[in-house]
Parts: sequence; structure tokens; C-alpha cells
Amino acid sequence: MLRPMDLIAALEGVVGSDRVRAHPLDRRVFAKDAGVKDGPVAAVVFPESAEETAGCVRVARAAGVPVVPRGAGTGLAGGAVPIEPSVMVVMTRMNRIVEVDEQSRTAWVGPGVINLDLSRDLASTGLHFAPDPSSQQSCTIGGNVGTNAGGPHCLAEGTTVAHILAVEMVTADGDIVIVGGDHPDPVGLDLRAVVVGSEGTMGVTTRVLVKLTENPPAVRTLLIGFATVEDAAATVSEVIASGLVPAALEMMDRAMVRAVENYVHAGYPTDAAAVLLAEVAGHAVGVDAEADMIARIAADNDATMVRLAQNDAERALLWKGRKSAFGAIAQSAPDYYLHDTVVPRTRLVEVLSQIYEIGERYGIALLNVFHAGDGNLHPLVSFDAAVPGELDRVMAAATEMVRVSIEAGGSLSGEHGIGMEKRDLMGLVFGPDDLDAQARLREAFDPDGVLNPGKILPEGSRCFDRAPTIGAAP
Amino acid sequence: MTWVTPWAPDRSELDSCVTCGLCLPFCPTFRLTGDETASPRGRITAMAAVGAGEAEMDERFFEMMAFCLQCRACEAVCPSMVPYGKLQEGVRAEILAADPKPARIARRMVLGRGLASRPAVHVASLGIAAAQRLGATRLLPGAVGRMASGMRTVPLPVPSTLGRSWRPDGEPVGIVGLLSGCVMDPWFADVHEALVQILRTAGYVVEAPGAQVCCGALAAHDGAAYDAARMAAANVEAFARYDTVVVDSAGCGAHLKDYGHWTEGGDDLAARVRDATEFVAHLIDEGALPTFPPGRGRVAVQDPCHLRHAQRIVAEPRTVLAAAGYEPVEIDEQALCCGAAGVYGLSYPETSDELGRRKADQVMAVDVSIVASANPGCELQMRGHLGPDIRVAHPVELYWEALSGS
Repeated sequence: MLRPMDLIAALEGVVGSDRVRAHPLDRRVFAKDAGVKDGPVAAVVFPESAEETAGCVRVARAAGVPVVPRGAGTGLAGGAVPIEPSVMVVMTRMNRIVEVDEQSRTAWVGPGVINLDLSRDLASTGLHFAPDPSSQQSCTIGGNVGTNAGGPHCLAEGTTVAHILAVEMVTADGDIVIVGGDHPDPVGLDLRAVVVGSEGTMGVTTRVLVKLTENPPAVRTLLIGFATVEDAAATVSEVIASGLVPAALEMMDRAMVRAVENYVHAGYPTDAAAVLLAEVAGHAVGVDAEADMIARIAADNDATMVRLAQNDAERALLWKGRKSAFGAIAQSAPDYYLHDTVVPRTRLVEVLSQIYEIGERYGIALLNVFHAGDGNLHPLVSFDAAVPGELDRVMAAATEMVRVSIEAGGSLSGEHGIGMEKRDLMGLVFGPDDLDAQARLREAFDPDGVLNPGKILPEGSRCFDRAPTIGAAP
Repeated sequence: MTWVTPWAPDRSELDSCVTCGLCLPFCPTFRLTGDETASPRGRITAMAAVGAGEAEMDERFFEMMAFCLQCRACEAVCPSMVPYGKLQEGVRAEILAADPKPARIARRMVLGRGLASRPAVHVASLGIAAAQRLGATRLLPGAVGRMASGMRTVPLPVPSTLGRSWRPDGEPVGIVGLLSGCVMDPWFADVHEALVQILRTAGYVVEAPGAQVCCGALAAHDGAAYDAARMAAANVEAFARYDTVVVDSAGCGAHLKDYGHWTEGGDDLAARVRDATEFVAHLIDEGALPTFPPGRGRVAVQDPCHLRHAQRIVAEPRTVLAAAGYEPVEIDEQALCCGAAGVYGLSYPETSDELGRRKADQVMAVDVSIVASANPGCELQMRGHLGPDIRVAHPVELYWEALSGS
């Protein structure tokens, strides 16, 4: 086992001294992502190639220090927050779009490429990368792969896993392997769905072969206001039941709309109890008919306003509002905590009213923004973590919210990943056998717990819990 | 308590950052490095840690702060509306107080005292005029040399608008104050001239009150906060009688609009300040100034950070250019800083150069012969990187050419 100074020197041997940091302030700045918790950082390293990444993993492994991969640090579940002193392997410098194949509509990209940059760079080809998390202007493709990120348009397009053909990654042993390949249906076990969403616990992503999606020839975006959350939810259910698959179907409640409108000035109705943002994409004739249909269903459910975005600028502004939602809540308090549960659409209203009730009972400020089309809720609590006991109270309320979602037949996470924040709630969804099976799969990739340990699976997942082979804090 | 000045980063303002990270890609230094410590969010985390006494106020902290260009692009995209520019100015004041090393003191003397002194700026301008005529500016090394090569030739005798006033030909419709500025006055006299003539044509009396001083922006950005506050107070008094104060340097205008946190009565003056492009575009929209038919050609629009990000003025320079008969051409959707950033090039010449090169490449890519920039620092940087073949001019200069028929 290496001493801390030797760890730094060994990392410098791999990437050079200007791309290794261990000053306390650097370690502090990298201790946190966009969520609420921080963790201990031993060193920060910025590799620029798969080989350097492999070298860093080998050094960390030899030193008995875990590796935590990090992209832009926009995750909300603590996936990139270390639990024990770790080497933060920051992938942002591997941000090259290596190769675009317009014919096959694929691209090899570095994990540090920013999601929206990829689509912007491809603008002239008429293609884009479909997953569009709210943080898409900042988050990286590597992070999208790690969390199996979603976004408003995953309603029609599916989450990240549906858009990944291959992942090049560094294994826990420091080898460079490629999982998947050019073909949509590889021969043998298809491990892509195992690796995508594994939050860096099975390998450190160093290159990704992504599928590209054709830009729709026409898009219509509707902003719809309702006097009650029930009316909005009923509209969502009826739209989906009608057989129409909107490109996106988003809901925000009044508190959220007010925070967003105050920042974006997009004309969101601040007096509405709930607002729907609906988008349809396809051929011009089709989208007009579909937009009409949504407007009609909304009107039947007593919508108080229906506005069709008249141009791209208006559309963009509406989306900017929706995608700024998490950031905008700081207007009410310095910290936020949000959950990412999924509930059956048919029970949306019922679960929502339970969530509001929980918020009231705990006396916390609650805002709601969610992907209504697929029942992916994001109850968002704004609070001040500096107030003693406040975080615990918020966490307790949040746990109850997760519980009611799961009891309604829902799930723990829609798109943010499990990370550390929902790790200990996995037991609500999985029994001991399920957790053991998952732990064994993970062990097959990383038997010694080198890669992002302590994430996703709660302690004790393995039926005969193994003794940790990774050393304690250096 | 770590902080010792009244300008210290405010705890509740630091807390207003929820660390969502939406600012990251808009930050030029994060773009160049991919490094959280070179991002607005990382710098806020560092400031909060130091402010809470949980991290040392050491060289590493100074470096993280100094590397920031203070372009405020992050501020414009922040859904939580964190006043990042103000926080950064505050922390610079704290750093000067905590670590008054000779280089910092020297900069403070130049930016905090020198620029506020008319004789000092005059002597410096004479020196530069002489050096330009002897070809000596070419001998300056690196980023300083590049900035110097981007300067307009300083006229002799050195011009000044201070204490002057101009009347329209007909009956006046109103009166506006003109911010003469410290170096705008001697080094960019043509911009002032164009603006004054446009305003006269629209029927305004223009006055450049003699009691005004340098706006104090560069002092504030560098931590010379007490000097900056004095300058702000002087200007609040000097411009007290004008309903409108017009500024043809985006950096100065942005700072005047932030006077509220620099001096008593600052808010009142701030509300009366208009950027030159803002005011002229307004007059064009109102029909008080004419619109000329298209056909003058294409002009690349370089958005100064303190116009677009700090003042949120985007459409107005384009309105002015289009009214002059030009076709405004976009070069950069994100409007990333050109690297001039006041005196940033002195501290980080390589970063300044890299950003300047990128911006120049964007201009070259759209194949134009003119670039419009509404800020003196950006103008120097653009000309320094583009060379003499591409003209760099203030939008109001181009409009005045159309208006005067030249």
C-alpha cells in the first residue's frame, strides 16, 4: 500500500504533475456534485486518454485507494461523490468527438463531451443525440452512460441505454475493454445494459459509441395551464390512452412555475395550479393534428390556457424554463433535495396528493416538476442545510415520498441513478436474493471494490458479506 | 471570521448557488481546462469554504480567484441568479487586504489611483502616442505587445471631452450626460465623436461634466475596492443632474449599472445609465433616428461580455448595425469571452491569447472585413489578433458613417 505522497507521485508519473491535484482546496471543490452530500477526496486526476485512465486505475488499485469517475458533476444522486478517500478521475478533458459516421448514424465520442455540444456539433448533419437530461447543457456523455440518464424526450426515445452501441472502459484491473460493438444486436451476452447505468462501478468509461437520431422535420410545443393538478394529470392519462406518443409531456406545479417564470420570463402562467409542457415531433401534417388533439383533450379537462409556441425562439424559451427548474429554486432556499421516483401514470394524482400531504406534515417547502408522460416524479424540497437537523428532516420526508411511490407500484429511480442517496432504499424494491444477485454481478467486474465502492447497492447486499479488501483512509 | 473588508462575499449570496452546474459550459476557463476549480461553481465553493474558515486563504485560493476573467457569462445563465460578479469583486478586495504583496499594490496604484488621475492618464497617453510614432510599441513582448498593437493611434494633442458640451442644430429635445471614461477619452476619441454627433442629430444636448472620474470598473475588478467606491461616489455627484447618462464602453456601463453596491445613491444613477447601443437603438426604434437601406455589407458582431452577459444587451448593437445598412453576422452562439477582460492579459497571457485566437478564428470563419465591438478592451484584443486587414469599430461609429453620408 502506498502512502498519500507516494500516491500523488505515482499519479503524476502517469499524467504529469500539472494534471494531478491534492491541495486541500482542490480536494474540497471536487468533493461534491450537484446533490446535497460531499465526501473525502484523496487526489484529483485529469487523464486525457484511455491509457492514462488505465494507468490511474492501476496506481489507485496498488495504493489501495478507490477510484471515483467524474464528469461535469451535475449528478443529483451522489454517484460521483466518494464515500471513502478516493482518487477522483475527472473525464472532462477527454472531450473529443472522435469520429462521426453519418451513414450509419453513429459517433465515437469521448466521455467528457458535453451532451448538448454533441448535438450542436452535429447540427449540419441533421442528427442529434436523443437523451436530453435537464442538465444537458453541462452534463457529459460519460455521466449519461453512468446514470443511464433520461430527460423529457425519453418518453418517446427511451433513456440513454437505448442510444449506446458500445462502451470502451477501463476495468478494475486497469485493462481497456470494449463492451458491445457496431451492431445493434451483438453476438453473445449483451453486457451494454449492465454497464450503462452502473455508475462507474464496473468500469471507467473512456469512449462511447452513440447512436444518433434524425432531427424531426417538424415540432410543435404546447404550454397548457390548469386550475387543478387533477385536471393536468387527467389530461396526461388521456393523451397517453389516446395512443398518441408525444415527444415530451412535462408537468410543473404552481410553486415550481413561479420560481421558473421569475428567472426565464417565458410567459408561464403563474396563477395556474399546474402547467403541462407537451411536445409532438414528426412530419408537419402529423404534428399539427397531434397538437390539436392534445389541445382538445386539455380543453375537455378544463384547461385554463393553451398556447402553441409560434416559433423556435419561443419553444426554446419554454424549454429553458423547464430545464432550469432545479437551479431556479435557490430563489427560495440555498439547498435543494430532489427525488426521482416513478409511479404508474394512472395513480399520479393519488401519489401527488400523498406527497403534498407529507410535505405539509414535515413543514417543508415542496415544489414539483416531473416527466408526467412516463410518471417520473421529481418532488423537490428547498431548504437550508445550515440549519441543524434540517437535512435529516428533509431526508426523512423524502424517504416517505419514495415509499408512497413504491407502494403505489412505482420505482425508486427514473433517470438520476441510485448513487449514494438512494442506495439504502434499494431494500424497498429488492429482496435479499435480488440484491445478492446484483452484488455478485458487480463482483464479477470488480471483485475488490476498487471502482466507486459503496454506490448503488446497500451494505450487506451480498448474502455472505465479504470483508473489504480496499484499505481504510490513507 | 476570515473576511475583513465591507466588500466581502456575502454568505447569503454565496448560499444562493445551489451547485446545479448549469453555468459550467459558459465559463471560458472551465471550457479551456475542464477543471471544476476553474468554474464559477468551484470558485463559489472555494469562497464559501474560505469564508467559513474551513479552508486556508492561501496562494492556491488566490490563484483560483485570479484565473477568473470576470466575464459574468455564468451570471446570465444562472437560474438562481447568483450575483457572481459582485462576489468576485468582493473576494478580490479581500485578497488585496489579506496579501498586500508589492505586485498587488502596484496594480492597485495604477488601476485605483492612476486611472482616476487625469494628469496621470494624460502623461501615459503622451508616452503611448510618442511610442506609436516611433514604432516602439512593436517592441513590447507577449500579450501586452498584442494589446498595444491593437490600439488606435492616439491623436496629438491628446483629446479630451471633459467639461465640454454640444448642442443640436435645432431646438433641443433633451439633455444627456456622457461618461468620458479614463482611456476612452484619449484613446477612442472617434467613438465619443460619433456618439456625440448621433445624439446631436437626434436633438440632444450632450454634456461631459468636468467633475466626473474614471468609472472604477478596473479598480473594482482588481480588488481596489476603496478606490472604486470613491470613484463611484464622485460620479454619482457629477452626473446627478442628468436623466440619462450614455456610456460607449460596455465595461464602464456595466459597472455604472452596478453602482448600487458601491456607493450611496448608486442605485439612482445606475437606473439612469444607458449603453450607447442601447440608447441609439431606442432612438432608431422610436423613429428619432433614420434607418438606411441594406447594402453596406456584412459585419461580424463581437458581443462584449459586459454588454451581453452583465447588461443583457444583445439585440441593440444588431439593431444599430442593421439601421446603418449592414448585415450583422453572428460569430459565437455562446458569446465566450475574447480574453481581453480588462488587464487579464497581464496575469494570464497564455489564456488571454488562446481565447483571443479562438475569437479571431470565429471572425475569420465568417469572412467579413469589419467587426463591430462595443467595448475598448475587446477592440484592442480583436485588432491585436486579427491584424490590420480587418477593421474593428464601435457600432455607433459605423452608424455615424451612414448618418453623415461618409
